[in-house]
Amino acid sequence: MAISKEAYKGLEAIVGAEYISADPVVCEGYRAGPGGYECGLGYERVMTKIPGCVIMPRTTEEVQKIVRLCNRYKVPFVPYSTGWYGPRSHCHVADELLVDLKRMNDFEIDEEHLYAVVGPGIIYSQLQEEAMRRGMYIVIGGGGAQVSAIANMIGDGWSPLSYRVGLPHRRILGTELVLPDGELVLMGSLAVQDDPFWGEGLGPDLRGLLRGFTGLRGCLGIVTKMAIKLLPFQPERLEPTGISPNTTLQLPTSRVKWINFTMPSKDAMRQAMFEMAKAEIGGGVTKVPIFWRAIAKARSKEEYWELWSQESEETISSFHLLRVLLIAFTSEEQMEYEEQVLTDIITEIGGEARRTRPSDESWFKNADSAGMWLMCGGYVSVDYVIETLEHAIPHGENYAKLKRNYTPPLMPDYGDPGWFQSFELGHQGYSEFLVYWDPDENSDGVDHFYLETSKENIRKRFYTSLLGPHQPLYLTGPAYGPNYHKWLLKVKDEFDPKFICHPPVPLAHDEFVERAEWMKPMKDWESPEIKPRP
Amino acid sequence: MLKGKVSLDVTQLDNFEYDMSKCIKCKGCTWVDHIYMPGVTFSTRCPSATKYLFDSYGAYGKMRIGLAMLEGRLDYSDELLKILYACTLCGACDVGCKRNLDLEIELTLEALRIKAVRDGKGPMPQHKKVAQNILTKHNRFGSPHQNRNKWLPAGIKPSPKAEVLYFVGCSASYTSPEIAQATVKILNASGTPFMLMPDEWCCGNVLYSVGMIDEARELARRNIEAVKKTGAKTLLLSCAEGYRMWKVDYPKLLNISTADLGFKVVHLVEYVDELIKKGTLKLANRVNLRLTYHDSCSLSRLSEPWVPWQGERGQWGMVSPTLERRRGTNGVYQPPRDILKAIPGVELVEMIRMRENAFCCGAGRGTKEAFPDFALWAAKHRLEEVKAVGAEAVVATCPWCKENFAQAVSQNGDKLKVFDISELILAAISG
Repeated sequence: MAISKEAYKGLEAIVGAEYISADPVVCEGYRAGPGGYECGLGYERVMTKIPGCVIMPRTTEEVQKIVRLCNRYKVPFVPYSTGWYGPRSHCHVADELLVDLKRMNDFEIDEEHLYAVVGPGIIYSQLQEEAMRRGMYIVIGGGGAQVSAIANMIGDGWSPLSYRVGLPHRRILGTELVLPDGELVLMGSLAVQDDPFWGEGLGPDLRGLLRGFTGLRGCLGIVTKMAIKLLPFQPERLEPTGISPNTTLQLPTSRVKWINFTMPSKDAMRQAMFEMAKAEIGGGVTKVPIFWRAIAKARSKEEYWELWSQESEETISSFHLLRVLLIAFTSEEQMEYEEQVLTDIITEIGGEARRTRPSDESWFKNADSAGMWLMCGGYVSVDYVIETLEHAIPHGENYAKLKRNYTPPLMPDYGDPGWFQSFELGHQGYSEFLVYWDPDENSDGVDHFYLETSKENIRKRFYTSLLGPHQPLYLTGPAYGPNYHKWLLKVKDEFDPKFICHPPVPLAHDEFVERAEWMKPMKDWESPEIKPRP
Repeated sequence: MLKGKVSLDVTQLDNFEYDMSKCIKCKGCTWVDHIYMPGVTFSTRCPSATKYLFDSYGAYGKMRIGLAMLEGRLDYSDELLKILYACTLCGACDVGCKRNLDLEIELTLEALRIKAVRDGKGPMPQHKKVAQNILTKHNRFGSPHQNRNKWLPAGIKPSPKAEVLYFVGCSASYTSPEIAQATVKILNASGTPFMLMPDEWCCGNVLYSVGMIDEARELARRNIEAVKKTGAKTLLLSCAEGYRMWKVDYPKLLNISTADLGFKVVHLVEYVDELIKKGTLKLANRVNLRLTYHDSCSLSRLSEPWVPWQGERGQWGMVSPTLERRRGTNGVYQPPRDILKAIPGVELVEMIRMRENAFCCGAGRGTKEAFPDFALWAAKHRLEEVKAVGAEAVVATCPWCKENFAQAVSQNGDKLKVFDISELILAAISG
């Protein structure tokens, strides 16, 4: 047993023998890789460990007791909801306690005030179904339908539907957080009454502790409950049909409709996004990476490659697919109106509507992130940038250019500039760059590319979302701050003086570069002082 | 084997190294297909992960544990054997994974059990007892072999020679004779001449399921030879577990295609459905019941025919020659539903988790023998769903399901009725 018998007994007394295990076989089942998001790369191989012990609390009180006991016995711990988010959400140090939160799956919904209160064990597709059944909806982020709603809300959580309803942190309402020392923080209206209906409370908005830009990956405590704002939807049911793997939601097309357009250029796509936003039409809009089309068409990995191999630099650079979602929230007349306005916009810009299936496989309820592994077996999004639409396009183009130097080991994508879209009715532009590789080949080049993107962002002044937890803090901190890295560590010190909650985050990527020999030639920044850990 | 020669041979765990190493923890194996996700209740389809909760009991945990076994990083222990065997091998994980990926989860789980047996650590002690029964008495219960045909009702005479051979199976022969009796009465009523095996032995489902592949293969050879000797063109079963064994696992064991068995394997529901659609069998009697149908795993998502495959895995994990993955899409889902809908008076209400998303009853693949409490827990969990849709009765196509549900109903003190579909068909045709 990795942790002391005394500590184990104390933990066992909190949850009961059925919900704790230090058995090596049980712990092996919680290994991060070798497959999964960002897995198979150096970070996973160098930085992750199997837990020394796994515990499954049921209540917030149990979580508090566990955390306090960890402080008493100096047992490092990491919160874990579904384990989807690759190595970053797994144990990083030996003999760590993994706090598996799946039993915390309480769910309440307030139809009158349009919010749901969820535990970390609730995943998005569950939440979406409960919401839709009551005439509401939420955005299921690109992370997928299988992710913990709470984890995703404090992480990323965006999708093409964010065009209409905005970024996830705007939907975080009253929230309950167990700090790294076991103290309970009630945020938003929960701070003053037993009602989580509102996100802001007295004094400073503490939600920043949870997410910063895209969250701190569990190094500042454990969120045990969150109220999430839901949004009014149209009244018709999106009917599930088909047998696996061909399952889909049949759309009531007088109310909900995807339309694909071929556009003359990337700039035309950007222009269409702006015009749509000005006209305040649409429920979602996105330019998707072209290889996603091949994934959608292929029935197998081999078929994907057969399709994808037919592409070339020329076909990719001349094919611009804009995907627009219309939602008639108020009436069928809204659909008629928006479709007409959209047609006018697209026609004026020189686009052309394509035949589009009256169904949704990817965004309302499913978010097929798991399909990203079909082609190669290895996948990670190396960067997400939320700036303006003007920045989104060059960001993708820059990365596509940079990527050529690392292909192979990266999958050939013929210069495809990734995924960009409009957020919040055109007020923001989003660019995400996804990379794929064969994990059974040497992937050092992928690690290099990942780090090189941090440098590229600094050089080109792209404001990446992955500053803190996914890139060396001492590389990005001085460049963006000039002292945000120091500030961030002071916050960490204040709330977690024993550095016990998911160490060594937020210095994990720094430590990775220090420990991985093949990364050292790229290291040209100051090293952080790594604090002694328990 | 990450690259190079690879096959679907379950006796070599390294054939599935790629599959184990590419699990991405999306947990599609555990959750109901998100398109069909019903909300916060009845949202999972893996009994093992739902009951035991630790990730290690889900396929994502088992893939990681399996890889550690392959690499010699884990020693056998009671916990390891529990993780391998407290699993219904129901195929929910396999179809869930294959919705998005091309990984062979079910075969990996089978290969892990085979390895455990070959390493002298498996199966569980209770399985060894069942195996002994099968090897000595030719049935899994250890009942006298000479009693095997005692179920045969008076007035029904099997033909000495017929195109259809009814393979009864251990359950319907010994513990659920009403299923065998209903089946032969249905065949009789439809004017189908049928024969029985001259000397029927257990199909070996439990042997294969727990990893005793040598014994299972021996039985497969013996049984196939025996059927061939009868000259039957169609082997008919009323047991879903037996159906899968004959249709999928026998060919798998012998490295042949289902199509090369030399006879067709059909389940009663496929046969009856065709008779009804041809007009040969009429379901005229009213059966006034609001009932729901439980998709027995081995008739539904696990029943696609077997085709052996071997080839090479190369860049990006692609394989050649072409491998048609068994994704559960073409399982026998519709025929039983069509039959039930054709019975006057029956109101068929679907459960929340149906077809490839169904939650296993918990009985099959060695579970009931070694982990009876888990098996009953799974049945009770499924019965909650039966009650949630307001059904008076649950209907299955497998005696394993029927027996397990019936036991759960009895323990619960529920008023629910449990039927095998053969009983309802018979009720609808008999005068």
